[in-house]
Order: sequence, then structure tokens, then C-alpha cells
Amino acid sequence: MRVVLAEDEALLRHGLELLLERAGFTVAATAADGPDLVRKARAHRPDLVITDIRMPPGHTDEGLRAARAIRAEHLDGMAVLLLSHHVQITYALELLEPSRGGLGYLLKQRVADVERFTQDLKRICAGGIVIDRTVAEVLATASDRSDDPVHRLTARQRDVLMLVAEGRSNAAIAQRLSITEKSVVAHVSRIYDELALPAHAEDHRRVLAVIRYLSARPERSGGGTTPPETR
Amino acid sequence: MPPGRPLDLALLELLLTGLVLAGAEIGLLIDGPLRPIGLLLLFPLVGTIYLATGLLAWRRRPANRVGALLVFGALTYFGAGLANTGSSALIAAGQIVASLPIVIVLHLLLAFPSGRLRTTLARCLTGFGYAIALLLQAPQYLFTESPPPYAPLAVRSDPHLAHLAYLAQTWSGAALVLAIVLVLGRRLRAVPPRSRRLLGPLYAYGIVAILFLPVSAHLFPQPGADTTLLTLQLAALAGAPLVFVPSILLGEFARTAEIEQLGSWLSAERPGAGGLNQALAEALGDRSVQLALWSPGHSGYVDGAGQAVELPGLGARRAAVEIESGGLRLAAIVYDATLIAEPELVRAAGQVVAIALERELLSTELTRSEAALDLARGQVAEAVDRTRRRIGQDLHDGLQSRLVLLALQAGLLGHDELRRGLDTAIDELRALAEGSIPSLLAERGLCSAVDDLVRRLPLPVRLEIDDELPPLAPAVESTAYFVISEAVTNAVKHAGARELRLRISSLGGSLLLEVGDDGIGGSAAPPGAGIRGMTERVELIGGQVRIDSAAGTGTRFVAELPCA
Repeated sequence: MRVVLAEDEALLRHGLELLLERAGFTVAATAADGPDLVRKARAHRPDLVITDIRMPPGHTDEGLRAARAIRAEHLDGMAVLLLSHHVQITYALELLEPSRGGLGYLLKQRVADVERFTQDLKRICAGGIVIDRTVAEVLATASDRSDDPVHRLTARQRDVLMLVAEGRSNAAIAQRLSITEKSVVAHVSRIYDELALPAHAEDHRRVLAVIRYLSARPERSGGGTTPPETR
Repeated sequence: MPPGRPLDLALLELLLTGLVLAGAEIGLLIDGPLRPIGLLLLFPLVGTIYLATGLLAWRRRPANRVGALLVFGALTYFGAGLANTGSSALIAAGQIVASLPIVIVLHLLLAFPSGRLRTTLARCLTGFGYAIALLLQAPQYLFTESPPPYAPLAVRSDPHLAHLAYLAQTWSGAALVLAIVLVLGRRLRAVPPRSRRLLGPLYAYGIVAILFLPVSAHLFPQPGADTTLLTLQLAALAGAPLVFVPSILLGEFARTAEIEQLGSWLSAERPGAGGLNQALAEALGDRSVQLALWSPGHSGYVDGAGQAVELPGLGARRAAVEIESGGLRLAAIVYDATLIAEPELVRAAGQVVAIALERELLSTELTRSEAALDLARGQVAEAVDRTRRRIGQDLHDGLQSRLVLLALQAGLLGHDELRRGLDTAIDELRALAEGSIPSLLAERGLCSAVDDLVRRLPLPVRLEIDDELPPLAPAVESTAYFVISEAVTNAVKHAGARELRLRISSLGGSLLLEVGDDGIGGSAAPPGAGIRGMTERVELIGGQVRIDSAAGTGTRFVAELPCA
């Protein structure tokens, strides 16, 4: 598995390189800013791009924009993992828009749990979607609200969805909720129906379900779907 | 010298005295032998007109000498009228002053509008006039051929000599009038067109009234004199005060004692330097009055537009009075010395103006320091915001990256416990950094950050954001987010709300934030440290917060933040 790694913090970049090499990945190139990443991803056509979101020159969301540019170029099979010090649902939504190929969005600190991080990388490379568990935490808070268009979900379905959001398998969810794996599958498929998710790779649908749930917004008037940019 | 009770009393005495004199003279003329009586009575009547108009002018414009001059003129008419009575002593007195009424008009012309003779030439001409009227009159009554009792002072009858004196008086009088015409013509050329339009007709009237007379002795109603002509002559002379006095009372150039009025007006109004100039011009009756402000920076006087003003020197047509207060030079009033005779008057007006000027200076200073304070406050708000953003970024880029690196090393080395401890530390640090400045706010701006905030809330929110928001300065954006976050937290934690309404809009040049809930409202949730902090942050950028929280109707926060 060939990786292009973008991280402006040199020490962390070296640490990640070390981690990746030890996990059996080949680091084809490293970059320290957004434009550099786009160039190197084009040049090396790696299996996976790992990038920090906040990078030079603007120190805002250069990594995210680079990742979207790369995915938009039809570089099929090029999986992307975004790392950041914080996880924004907004960013996750933007990232998922052209949902093709493996995708990950994790807090930077997750890399320290080497074993789990390596598993996540492999799932992403295999075309899976991994979203950080903080998203599930937001889901937990927001699940109290009664205004969701997806309020149709039963309490049990929401429990299942939260565990899905944490990236757990059906078996793990069944074990956690002390129900059969078969009924987990039934819950999950009803969730798909309720959220009107299109037919898709199972892994995708699971994450999309979570994201759809989170992005399902209460009545919102005025600014349309995209909030106006402010300076 | 503002008009007051003592002056009023004195003028009243003068009026009564004058009326008694006129009455007595009328009595004497009716008792006397000469007729037609209607013509004779014109003298005390014209005198009374002079008296009344003179006293009116004196009372209304105490600093102006025209009033006194007219009262003196009244006496000359009363005097001249005595020549027509039947008593030889009174006839003698009347004959001596017979020509004075004409000189009064000349004096008035030269002294108008202040009532003072300002130049040596004017004083000489006036003195010459009185000399002609008195001295060249003498031979006429000393050598008169009139029958008794109309020759009480006659030493001998010499009609030839008397006629000679009459001719001399006539021709020198004509020369004097010519000289005065020249002087007045020169004055007219020197004054501004506006004054010229007013002075010109007055001067013309005076000259014509005099030239209308076949000078001096013809006022004597000698047997056979044309009574119609004489009536017209007296009427023309009587018109002089009626023409001149209104222009002193109402005319724009001769208003000379309005200081009290000015003072009371200034205590009620805040006219500013320009308005002050105009008020001063109106009070002093001189449209050309210029209020020059002392500029310590330039060590000189400047006008309202900041242009340097040179004070006129001594003897110039324009004069200046400097205004000081507490030993500090404040301003100077430059005025037309031909219109205002009394520098004291200008100085008194200046003292009244000084109070207003000081107030103006103080308020200018206050405004300036308020502006400086606003600027400083804005700079503090910006500095605080920059610091917050820098701290947020430094925490992420510095400490948090180091901790992640350490955690990674611990992970690579298999120190799981250490790694988990570091993981918790990183979580706490992230919360700290987000508290300093939410990363989404720093990266995407207010709307994205609010959108994200709302998404995380455990209760439904009706969010409205205007399509067209003004560009927001970083400090305003941070404050806006902080306000919304605090208001929302308050609603969730304390108000027991089930639903929130949030609106971000622009109002004029301001950003308007409204957060309403359907909670308990009332005083159940007294403003805590969070609300106080919110209010302070809003006030720091010059905005304001209003909290409506009546019991049972929920709580509504409205914050208005200036965007410019």
C-alpha cells in the first residue's frame, strides 16, 4: 500500500512515517502544505492520501480542500484520510459529497492507538468509511432533540445508529445491545429505509446513515443550504 | 450699560420735562400776537417728535448717541419756537438759537449711525456748522430792522449789515452742506454694499431735507413769507428722526445693545462656533462681525474654517476686541468700527460669548477624548481577539501536536497506560483551545460556527440567517459567536426551554443577534457570570445587549454589534 502523507509539523510527520512503515505501508512522498499535496498525489497516484486539515499557507482547511480536489479528479481507488485536532460535522459532510473510494476523518490523537489506527487505515484502503467517534458523541447529545425529521427512528434504532457511528460491526452491536445479529441487521436496514439512503456499499451506507442523521436539520430559513462565507 | 430702571426713570423725567416745555410754548404762542397759529405750533410739535423718537432710541440703544442728539435737537426746536412768542426775553432766546435745528440734521448725518463723530474732519465740520448757526446769526438779530418786540437784542437798525450776515450764513452753510455731501459720499463708497443700500437713502434724505431750506433765517416767519413753503421745510426736518431712528432700532447695522438677549439665548442654545458668530453679529448689529478663535497651536487667530485671521491695527475702519477668560486668550471679535462706536460694548458681548466658547471648547475636548476612548476600546477588543486566536492556534500547533507526538511514541513503544493518559490530556487541551476560539469560527467564520453549534444542541432550534450580512471584523465575529453561545447555553441549562429561536441579521450598519426561548423566563435565572461576561464583551466592541425575561414568556436576548 503506497501512501502520500501531508503534515506540516515535521516531528509528527516523521512519527507518522515511522508508524506507517512499521504497519507495512510504503510512504511514497510527504508534503507540508495543500498545493504540495495535490501535486504529489497526482505524481505518485498512491492508494491512500493521509493529510492534516489545517496546513500552510492559510492554516485553515487547506488539507480538506486538497482532499476534495484529489477526489474530484476521478482518481479512482485513491482513499483519503483526514486528520485534525478537531472533528467538524460540516467537514465530514463536505468530504462525503463525492462519496467514492475509501474515506476517513479522525482526530490526530487516534494515531497513537497504533493497533486500532492500523485497522482503520486498512478499512479505508479497502474502500470503507471511518468517521471519528466524537461524531457519535455529538449524535448522543443531539439524539435528545425531538424535532428531527428522522425522529421516526425508534429509541432502539437510534441506539443501533449510534453504535454504527462508532464504527462497530453488526456482531459487536448485537453483543453490546444483547440482541441477535439478525435483529441488528433488521434495525439497520429499517434505518436505511427511514433515511432514504440509496443502494450503496454496505460500509458506505452505514456511515452515510450517521451523517444523514446528523445533517438532517431542523427548519432553517434564510441563508439557504450553504451558510454565507464571512471574513 | 444695559438698559435698567435708573435709565428708564431719567428718560421719563426728560420726557415729562420736554412735554411741559412744549405745552408751555404752545400756551405762549396761542397767547402771542403772531399768526397763523398752525404754522407757529409746528415748532413745538416737531420738537416733540424729536423728543419722542430721541428718548425711544436712547432707551432701546443706550450706547448709541443718536438718542441724546435728537433730544438736544428737540430743545433747539423748542428754543427756536420761542422767537414767535410775545415776550421779548423769550424772543431774544429764540432768535439766538434760531438756526440750530438745521445743524442738528447735519450733525445727525455726520454722526450716524453710532451718534458719535469719529473723525477729526467730521468734528470740524460739525463745529463749523454750529459756528455758522450761532455766530453768523448774531448780526441778524443785533442789527434787525424788525419792530418791537421782535428786536429785543438790537443795538441799532442796519438792514444792510444784517442782510450781509444772512448771505454769509447762507453761502457758508451751502459750502458746509457740499463738504458734508462729499464726506458722506466717501463713507458710502467704503462700506459694504449691503450697508450702502441702507445708508444711501438716509444720507440722501438728510441732504435733501437741508437743501430744501432756503438756509437759516428763512425759518423766521416774517410777514409775507410763504407759509406753505415753510410748512414743507419743517415737515422735511421733522421727518429726519422718523427716518433715522427706526433704522437704529430695526436696521441690521446699528443694533448695539443686545447683550442680555445674547446671554439668555446662549444659555438655552448650543450654537457652535458658526452659530455663535451669527448671534454675535445680530446682537452687535454688524453683519461683518467675525469671531476669530485663538489657536494655541498656531499662536494666532483662526476663523471657523481654520484660516488664519489677522487682527486689524489701530485707526483702521475695522477694529478688534480680544476675549480672555481666566487669563487665557480665547478669541477675538473683529467688527466694523464705523458701525459700532463702543469697543466696551463689543467687549461686554465678548464676555458673554466667552462663556459659550469655553463650554464649546470643553465639549470639543470631551468629544475628542470620547473618540479616543472608543478607539482605544476598539483596539483592546481587536488585541484581545488576536490573542485568543493566536492562543487557539498555538495550542493546536504547539502543545497539542507535541502531546499527539508523545502519545504516538507511547503507542509505538506499547506504553498503553501512558498513551491513554496523554489521550485524556489532549481531549482537555482541545476543549481549552475550542473555548479560546472555536476552530470552525477561525476557519469558516460565524455562520458555519453557529450552524455547528446548533447541530450539537440537545433541543430543536429555529435558525434564521440573513443572506446579506455585512463583512465582519474578526473581533465582531468572535463576540457574536460568544454571545450566541452564552445565550444558548443559558437557555439550555437554566431556562428549561423546549425550543430555541436564533436569528442573525443586519440592521443598518449593525449585526443583530436574537436568541429567544420558550423557557420559564422571569427572574428564575438571575444573570450569572456568563451573562455578565457576554455583556462586557459586547460593550467592549461598542455594542449593546438587551435581555427581556418576563415570567412565563421565556427569555429573549438581543445583541446589536457595530460592524463598521
